[in-house]
Amino acid sequence: MLENFLTGTSALFGDPVSIAIFIFGVIGGMLFGAIPGVSMLTLAAILLPFSAGLEPAQGVMLFAVIYCTGTYGGAITAILFNIPGAPENAPTAFDGYPMTKKGMAGKAVGAAVLCSAVGGTASALLMMTATEPLAHWAIRNIGPPEIFALVFFGLAVASSVGGKTIWKGWMSVLLGLMIATIGQDPVGGINRYNFGLSDLAAGIAFVPAILGFFAVSEIFIQAEKKAFGKYNAPKLNVDFPTFTELWAHKIAVLRSIIVGFFCGILPGIGATLAAFMGYGEAVRWSKEKEKFGTGKLEGVISSETANNAATGAAMIPLLALGLPGGALTAIMVAVFQFHDMEPGPLVFYNSPELIWVVFAAMFYANVSILFIGLIETKTILQLLRIPFTYLAPMILMLASIGAYIGRGLVLDVVVMFGAGVLGFLLRRSGYSIAGIVLGIILGKIGEQNFAQGMQMVHYDLIAYMSRPICFILIIAGAVTLGTGVYRALASNRAPKKL
Amino acid sequence: MRQFTKMHLIESTVWVSLVILLFAFSFEFDKEIEIYKFGAAGWPRAVLGMLLLVIVGNIFHQMRHGDNVQAGRVGVSEDEMSDVDRTFGSVVTLTLFLLAPLLYAWSLKPIGFYSATPFFIASIICLLGEFRVKRVLSITALIYGLLILLFLLILNAPLPQGTMSPFYDFSAFMLRISYQLQNLI
Repeated sequence: MLENFLTGTSALFGDPVSIAIFIFGVIGGMLFGAIPGVSMLTLAAILLPFSAGLEPAQGVMLFAVIYCTGTYGGAITAILFNIPGAPENAPTAFDGYPMTKKGMAGKAVGAAVLCSAVGGTASALLMMTATEPLAHWAIRNIGPPEIFALVFFGLAVASSVGGKTIWKGWMSVLLGLMIATIGQDPVGGINRYNFGLSDLAAGIAFVPAILGFFAVSEIFIQAEKKAFGKYNAPKLNVDFPTFTELWAHKIAVLRSIIVGFFCGILPGIGATLAAFMGYGEAVRWSKEKEKFGTGKLEGVISSETANNAATGAAMIPLLALGLPGGALTAIMVAVFQFHDMEPGPLVFYNSPELIWVVFAAMFYANVSILFIGLIETKTILQLLRIPFTYLAPMILMLASIGAYIGRGLVLDVVVMFGAGVLGFLLRRSGYSIAGIVLGIILGKIGEQNFAQGMQMVHYDLIAYMSRPICFILIIAGAVTLGTGVYRALASNRAPKKL
Repeated sequence: MRQFTKMHLIESTVWVSLVILLFAFSFEFDKEIEIYKFGAAGWPRAVLGMLLLVIVGNIFHQMRHGDNVQAGRVGVSEDEMSDVDRTFGSVVTLTLFLLAPLLYAWSLKPIGFYSATPFFIASIICLLGEFRVKRVLSITALIYGLLILLFLLILNAPLPQGTMSPFYDFSAFMLRISYQLQNLI
């Protein structure tokens, strides 16, 4: 492995063009992740046509680097503005934004930098050592029933955070699942809820939906506060967390690496579910559950470690099985196809140099988060100085461009602003925006894998549940759901008023 | 029951109506799929069934506890707007703020990005309470200029050009200028 890694490193840093692409990817991913309103996906969508002119290894490496640094960059907007740069940063905002409001933005961003670097680097190392054995294990043990079971468990976890009650948490998730049914059904290709609009046949693109629910609705919330004289500018603070503060959360970091890596391995699940489950597990094991959501450093640490730990793992199904684990890895499939290649087991034999250049680049990208991230953070924090009156139109414009660029449809801009208005109304009524977004992302994956799983077991539920991983995940999801409902029914003793 | 307000009733009615409406629409695509027993409508209907159950749970919760937050919930943002004085002017401003982006999105197809954007930026700045003309114009120009620089000149991103004259002609003019500048550099 070490020999291959060194070969990849020398190929990466021995060519000036590769070095330039690597640096561009690191800085571009961080910047687009950290600018509110756009995300790494916006950059990836813009760069995709240009990647056809690059060498295959350079093209895939560029997007892999953007994936690593962009996942970290999205945490900054989540913490500073309550606008997650990507869905995997949504749980980061639960505690990160309250920390900003308390004047602890520096601590939250500092923790995000360090934990993203640690999670990502650990994941890159695991990826290098375990891609082949894990791919073989996944081929044997993970099928559609297991993926559906994990989706169910993930949705159960998501419903337990964000909404005012378990009911509103589930209503949010189920609304997201319903939005995901718009467009062609994943089995028969029959149009559903497209109301005769051909642009809707492909469904609601999730980038505009995410931008609308997260970025636009947050602008509306702040605009409402401004209109009614309740707006308070976030406090600027650049004090990073101390080593002691971070060391106290070593168990949370370790747990999130495991959770994040496991979620990342599974095709189609990606970093989003990893972040939610990392956060959910941190709450589950904490002795101070009630402090989560009020500005607890452990919330930021758990979420950011888990989502970056998933970045390396998400490359395993992509490279070993040819299955993308999320939006950005799906774009990487297109890069392979530009060069008449198909990601999958044969890539390891036909293009080992490509694999190891990508692995090495991801490792160094994660390490660079630590150094460039700390320098960048001090600059990015200055964004808090810009008055909201001038920042809001900038964010709305960037979001409009970000929504439009993916598919080149004006409909996506309309969907984004519509989602913004809906998100604003739902947030004001105590619903969970993160739950809706997770429902949208996992809806199609869940339905497709449920259908395939049912066909595999010939609609026999006992056969379905006799698969051990499937059984464990469904029971865990049911327990999470049951516990939430029990708490809701028993909560008439001491409800709290916010 | 005293906790269940008129707003809760409206909220529940909207949700139940949505479920009924979507269920009714599901008959439009209730077609059999040869290889899949549950067909195209199976999944959405199952989700709608669960949604209905959860709505009932929500109604019961609101009857007993109103808007109170369930104990043990995390990631719930504090409601800072419950005690504000809602004047007519501020409600109108907020409504316009919610409508302006929708109007902008609708205008993108006929008018195009290059013509519609400066007006949208200026209107948002005004709706947020900045009325000094020089300030509005300079900030609008700055944001517009930055967007053009990044997305048109540097990244060459394709943006909506509009379909109506003279807006389409203006978009073509912007693209021509951009092309000439890129050639110069």
